[in-house]
Amino acid sequence: MKKSIMSLVAVAAMTVSLSATDYRAEKPDAWTAHTVPTAIKALYGEITPADADIKLKAPKVASNGGSIPVSVKTDIPAKSVAIFQDANPEATVVVFTVPEGSAADFALKIKMKKSGTITAIVEGKDGKFYSTKLALEVALGGCEG
Amino acid sequence: MKKLMLALASIALMATSAMAVAPTEVTDMKIKAKEKAGVVKAKISIKHDMLTYDQAKKKGVEANFITHITATVGDKVVYDASTSQFLSKNPLIKFVFNGKKGDEIKITYTQLKGEVFFATKAIK
Repeated sequence: MKKSIMSLVAVAAMTVSLSATDYRAEKPDAWTAHTVPTAIKALYGEITPADADIKLKAPKVASNGGSIPVSVKTDIPAKSVAIFQDANPEATVVVFTVPEGSAADFALKIKMKKSGTITAIVEGKDGKFYSTKLALEVALGGCEG
Repeated sequence: MKKLMLALASIALMATSAMAVAPTEVTDMKIKAKEKAGVVKAKISIKHDMLTYDQAKKKGVEANFITHITATVGDKVVYDASTSQFLSKNPLIKFVFNGKKGDEIKITYTQLKGEVFFATKAIK
């Protein structure tokens, strides 16, 4: 009896890990952190990311802070990719889970209140962390509404 | 033993609460997915205000933004992002994955209060 329940629990746990990861539910603190280092700490714990070949792209001067195209691409076999910035009240923008068999190659449009720095963290499958930074100027802030 | 049963019950509860939200199909999502040599490039535009807490406060309405976006082909998850309020209004996302022409891609997104929306499109 005990064993069957155990296996049931194990099955339930497995289905959870197979499906998509909701970082908002798992790491709620990361979404309310106000600075990039605290957000990274809340999301991944104490890490010292190494510099690596991550292609983080954004315009040097964004004319409209409400819609800044940002893309991140890397050949590192990655488990997850996170993007942070230091211009808005909270630091975390997005956390991607890289699905099995897919490469980390994402693009999206983000909002920034003022000029700042975008930080990308890549969590490798090897358990190591890699990061890169990019400073950009925002001509017209995007959070004023 | 009692503990185990309790754990099981809580898992069952979690499953039912997750199922309680019925996804709504939306027609204003733009999906472009094109295959070339086994690699699908997808470009998706979701119609959403993405109101941050600050913006909502100014307008005197409640904040509402997308918190999670998932793309699936069949049972396979091909894209998964937990998002914050700082995505642009009507967020545009692009990604690549291995797939083939004719398959159906399904984009599902969840907004702040837990409502789930989805749209589907065949890969070209």
